[in-house]
Amino acid sequence: MALITGGGGGIGGAAAARMAAAGIAVVIADYDGAAAEEVKKQIVATGGKADALALDVTASREVKAVVTDVEKRFGRIDILANIAGGSAYTKRIEEFTWAQWQEVVNANLKGTFLMCREVAPIMQRQKSGRIINTASNYGVTGSALRTPYAAAKAGIITFTKSLALELAPDNVLANTVAPGPTDTPRVMEKESAEARRQRWWPNIPLGRTAVPADLAEMYYFLTTPESAAITGQTFHVNGGLVMP
Amino acid sequence: MRLKDKVAVVTGGAQGIGQAVALGMGREGAKVVVADLQAEKAQSVANELQALGAEASAVGVNVANESSVKRMAESTFDRFGRIDILVNVAGIYFPKASVVDLSEEDWDRTIDINVGSNFFCCREFVPSMRAQKSGRIISLASGIGHYGMRQFSHYAASKAAVMGFVKALAREVGPDGITVNAICPGSANTSMPRQHRSEEEVMARLRSTPLPRVLEPEDIAGPILFLASDAAAYITGQSYDINCGSYMF
Repeated sequence: MALITGGGGGIGGAAAARMAAAGIAVVIADYDGAAAEEVKKQIVATGGKADALALDVTASREVKAVVTDVEKRFGRIDILANIAGGSAYTKRIEEFTWAQWQEVVNANLKGTFLMCREVAPIMQRQKSGRIINTASNYGVTGSALRTPYAAAKAGIITFTKSLALELAPDNVLANTVAPGPTDTPRVMEKESAEARRQRWWPNIPLGRTAVPADLAEMYYFLTTPESAAITGQTFHVNGGLVMP
Repeated sequence: MRLKDKVAVVTGGAQGIGQAVALGMGREGAKVVVADLQAEKAQSVANELQALGAEASAVGVNVANESSVKRMAESTFDRFGRIDILVNVAGIYFPKASVVDLSEEDWDRTIDINVGSNFFCCREFVPSMRAQKSGRIISLASGIGHYGMRQFSHYAASKAAVMGFVKALAREVGPDGITVNAICPGSANTSMPRQHRSEEEVMARLRSTPLPRVLEPEDIAGPILFLASDAAAYITGQSYDINCGSYMF
């Protein structure tokens, strides 16, 4: 079974659907409980097993309660995909308030930490598990006007390497997926398809921005036996925009 | 079957990682050309593939020789009529020598085989992939190309060069729907590390990784099959490390 945060969003929803299509029971957690419920409905309608719940990944008590409950219901947690995150801000550093900085860093980095802290011991007891965290190409390249987001995403990459080293002796794997520009409903609300095409496509060797399904395949791959010897790595999926 | 009716060429396909890749491709439905300097061994892998029900052929090739690579390509097109997947596994590792003791001949040989093979093979197959607006190229680099290794400067340089080549080619052929990626294995349970280490040393090294498992050829083949499949259509120019956690780039 898989617990997927941000499962109500574009990438998270696609990852949940991909795993469910492969027979994995998914628990879709999202800050937006209605969005999680919507993804659940779609998965169930196509014959998949899914549950939905509302979760603020930055609230440690909520995280603990949800993880405890999920483990009780399923008896185990095989996969944790931390996809919740993002940033509502694009502005210069001097315009960021401390509260806004914390909001971005917490939604991405702290949320990932809190989820892993609760789930890792369960996987260690099982002597198996897959943790898949989500960074961004900005976590490697940096991005003007997104200082807290880029810092948080870089933090996730190195947090995941450290976690991978800690958990490896118990056969628990931890890797990072780093998406490039992806056409999710959330970003498409802010920017038209045409504007995105003009901004991104000329710079991407494969000639288009990602769709959530492109990322979903990588999340799914990292749950399969084919990736059993991979831990601590960062998987960029960006059409060739960034080749670190 | 993720690669049904795709035509795959695997250089270095007669043993180790290349053999695991060739067999994996066949199990996923691909028609496989097993290309290797050791033609007899390549033939026995092709026989094994046929026994699995896959279409397969074997071809003897020196991947560092331009005309030999041309003949390999001709043989592929004669037999299967197209190319969808090229996996560049063939390469050499030995000899072990510090920089000050390394001969020009050994330097040239390593670079010519490990890097030149990528150039020759890609140059032969890219035009066909370009014409059909699709193709997958996966080249074996090495974790040593990322982190270096004493007494293997030639090998480290050659594998870093493979990664640079992969990125440049990915940019060139991306607009044609062709993806190009590298896989960087850590020390794997093949004959290669046994060329300069005792069996005890090899096994101790293989067991020293953070994950409690030995890196097997199949562990490398899995991610290569993924990169060759439709699921990886949006991945290009990347160098993915597969090493049981021994190194995190």
